[in-house]
Amino acid sequence: MEQKFNVVGKRLPKVDAWERVSGKARYASDVYLPGMLYGKILRSPYPHARIINIDISKAKALPGVKAIITPKDTPTFRWHKDMPILTDVARFQGDDIAAVVAVDEERAAEAIELIKVEYEVLPFVLDPEEAMKPEAPKIHPEGNIIGGKPQVLKRGDIEKGFQEAEVILENTYRTSLLQHVTSEPRVCVAYWEGGRLTIWDSTQYTFGVQSGVAKALKLPMSKVRVICEFMGGGFGDKTTSERYNVLAAFLSMKTGRPVRIEFDRAENFLAAHHRYPTVWYLKYGAKKDGTLVAIYAKVIADMGGYAHFAGAGGNLETIKSVYRCPNLMAEGFSVYTNKPEGGFMRCVGHPQAQYPQEVHMDMLAERLGMDPVEFRLKNFARLEDGDQDRKFPFTSNGLEDCIKRGAELFRWQEKWRRPGSSPGPLKRGVGMAIHACRHGAMTEPSSGMVRVNADGTVNVLTGTSDIGGGQKRTMAIIAAEELGVPVDAVYVTAADTEVTTDTGGTTGSRQTMTGGTGVRLAAADAKRQILKIAAQELKTEPDKLEIKNSIVYPIGADKGIPLVDVLKKAPATIVGRGIGRVPKNKVIHSFAAHFVEVEVDVTTGQVRILRLVAAHDVGRAINLQSLENQIEGGAIQGMGFGLLEEQLFDGKTGLCLNPNVLDYKLMTIKDVPEIKPLIVESNDPYGPFGAKGVGEPPYSVPAPAIANAIYNATGVRFNKIPISVRAILEGLKTKKG
Amino acid sequence: MEEKEKRGENLNFASFKVTRRGFLKGIGTGAISTAVTGIPVLVPSEAEGARIVKGVREAMVRLNVNGVDYRLKVKSHWTLLDVLRKKLGFTGTKKFCDRGSCGACTVIMEGKAIYACSRLAIEADNKKIVTVEGLADGENPHPIQQAFMENDGFQCGYCTPGFIMATKAILDKNPHPDEAEIKEGLAGNICRCSAYPKIIQSVLALAKR
Repeated sequence: MEQKFNVVGKRLPKVDAWERVSGKARYASDVYLPGMLYGKILRSPYPHARIINIDISKAKALPGVKAIITPKDTPTFRWHKDMPILTDVARFQGDDIAAVVAVDEERAAEAIELIKVEYEVLPFVLDPEEAMKPEAPKIHPEGNIIGGKPQVLKRGDIEKGFQEAEVILENTYRTSLLQHVTSEPRVCVAYWEGGRLTIWDSTQYTFGVQSGVAKALKLPMSKVRVICEFMGGGFGDKTTSERYNVLAAFLSMKTGRPVRIEFDRAENFLAAHHRYPTVWYLKYGAKKDGTLVAIYAKVIADMGGYAHFAGAGGNLETIKSVYRCPNLMAEGFSVYTNKPEGGFMRCVGHPQAQYPQEVHMDMLAERLGMDPVEFRLKNFARLEDGDQDRKFPFTSNGLEDCIKRGAELFRWQEKWRRPGSSPGPLKRGVGMAIHACRHGAMTEPSSGMVRVNADGTVNVLTGTSDIGGGQKRTMAIIAAEELGVPVDAVYVTAADTEVTTDTGGTTGSRQTMTGGTGVRLAAADAKRQILKIAAQELKTEPDKLEIKNSIVYPIGADKGIPLVDVLKKAPATIVGRGIGRVPKNKVIHSFAAHFVEVEVDVTTGQVRILRLVAAHDVGRAINLQSLENQIEGGAIQGMGFGLLEEQLFDGKTGLCLNPNVLDYKLMTIKDVPEIKPLIVESNDPYGPFGAKGVGEPPYSVPAPAIANAIYNATGVRFNKIPISVRAILEGLKTKKG
Repeated sequence: MEEKEKRGENLNFASFKVTRRGFLKGIGTGAISTAVTGIPVLVPSEAEGARIVKGVREAMVRLNVNGVDYRLKVKSHWTLLDVLRKKLGFTGTKKFCDRGSCGACTVIMEGKAIYACSRLAIEADNKKIVTVEGLADGENPHPIQQAFMENDGFQCGYCTPGFIMATKAILDKNPHPDEAEIKEGLAGNICRCSAYPKIIQSVLALAKR
């Protein structure tokens, strides 16, 4: 049944568009308070070193320096299990060793230079496979394999699967270390005033920062307030409390003045998180008719100097969920190396997995003599497949539509030709890839508050950080649709721990479904209260009433009473509260299929992306305009993952070679091809008005689609991304040779 | 391994990047005096008696920002970006790369789009500067701002003031650019959210007026 909506599905500008285009928006980096001090962190210049002595005497004597702290001042802070706030063993170049706070940035920088640190330089290891060997330098006492053993997934009988297989394909793949390069760096201002702590932070999760800092400094959460009015990008780097939050707070408590810590760009390349590199071995088996019967995957995830989390587990998720396959075994090793701390980047670890998996499927299709689209259509996980291990179905699944409609819009049949058959030096080729992941699903906590004022206007209070996806607008639309008021009557306050409720981070593409469900339920709660009052006035039952355009009507009637008149009868301001619960024994996934055409110049190695069709099952489009923007932006970042981005480390010194925006290559406006977002609405029964999230899925698909298109153009396979100009030229030479 | 190698010197993390202050330390006073030629006042530092870097001087400058004159004392190595943000409160101009690679700090100086992070404040003495705050007429958006709002020409908005100022510089010269000219004109600005298609759409809407 086609639902009719008043606001949902329209094209609306962001609620805070004016603030953002006028320069009035106050990001954390724009917070300058009277009497504010500047904090600076002394970072390790070595990838691996023991700190023997720290002499702060000269720095302390510098006028304007207000406090200096070293590892001995912070031993009691509770933190990630393997990461001290300040460390006496540096495990990556940029590890936090000491912190200074001074009257201005220059004085703080000067003081950092005056601190004399004596290091014992230790042997280091950068390569995760080397790090697994017994003779490798030990980065943590318990060894370099996190948890001591791999995470293992098993389904069916893998040996039997390979016995049944008529075609078996093995290959290895690698993905690189990438930086989020958020335009606003990590930055916060902490102010300890009157026994209370306020932190303005550029964060995807104010409540995470609140609880992390409260725990570390043993403060009651009631006395810690975290605010993120605006943030300049996150992409997974700013998902929780970090060392710099605790340091700024601690230094403010020590000095009684506001303390600002802002990373410079080089610090942000080294001492923030990144997309951890991976090494893959895949072995897939299929029958001659194309049916997948066995999947074996092994991944080594290079987590850097600290285990923010065991990344290999995140990598393996899409290996088990994109395709229907009765026999599966997957092993994931998460490994320490002397690189910066690995973390989430526009997904936990799915992009690193979808590149090898989708290239592998492309190769397998060719081996079987099948069209890549047909091969996907034969094997993709259906609605009933869901969690194939626990036998829970998906709540909705628009993948088939994504593949079929995407292929049609792209004109796949017409465009696809035999690999390597493109003539001349400018070779054209097409490629595709699909994706399914739990990102976009609902999680807990899911909550929201809605206040209906006496004049009929509405305040939505939500924990979601508006990362740039237009989350505030999404919440306004959801509340307006549910309450039956114009969308302009709704004002949204977001991401302030003092006045909003926890909806989890703006991470995992979760806010539309998680924050949105909380807001929808809160609006429904407020509506219930309003209709109860109106029913008394109209001498009817609440369920026989509806609100349309701020007028309460008996259902079907054309005369009603204005909402403001009903509100006059309310004993107090109407406050609605909503708490969403994640459905049991069901799996919520988002789905996508991308189709891309490239042109490879075999004389220069340049790859030009000509056009991309990005089909996404989003459940329901809440705001078409920002939805398209997110799909396009995610896909363009994903192109950078496939072709350009790689943070490089020198094997001899262990030091980063390109910690800046010039040498670390990003997509520019000139690299952008024609992109056609194709919206598939599967109307998820658990999403607000059927919606699911879309923040991360667009990122995972372009890289393998591009790799497959480059193969289609040139006839050469590339098993590592980014597929750089050099890799292309070398690959072509090898083919000729 | 030799002892010298094994024992780390007092190496600093900062040694691996070029800092402006460090750079100035290296080049000394001479270059600075050249740079400040024409600046009327040179005064020694009085800042809390701190050990200041050799070669650093202070100077009075007059900056005309969005039509208003500001006279202030700046250090000779301070960038126009830092002075706009920290001293004058024009925080609409953003710091992203701080090394002339991303365009987030684009302002218009004497009719030309420049990176405010790559100009010293003393270079802007007696110059007319327009920042994003100088575009709107009170709460009435400038047509470029209106177009970016209507076409969703941004996501997080952090690079947006830079894109808007770069767009102004394009349109001031060429009111009806085509898509290729728009891309060329905005190639010096990075949008990490990659709202590029919607940015192009925003500027095309202006070009077609």
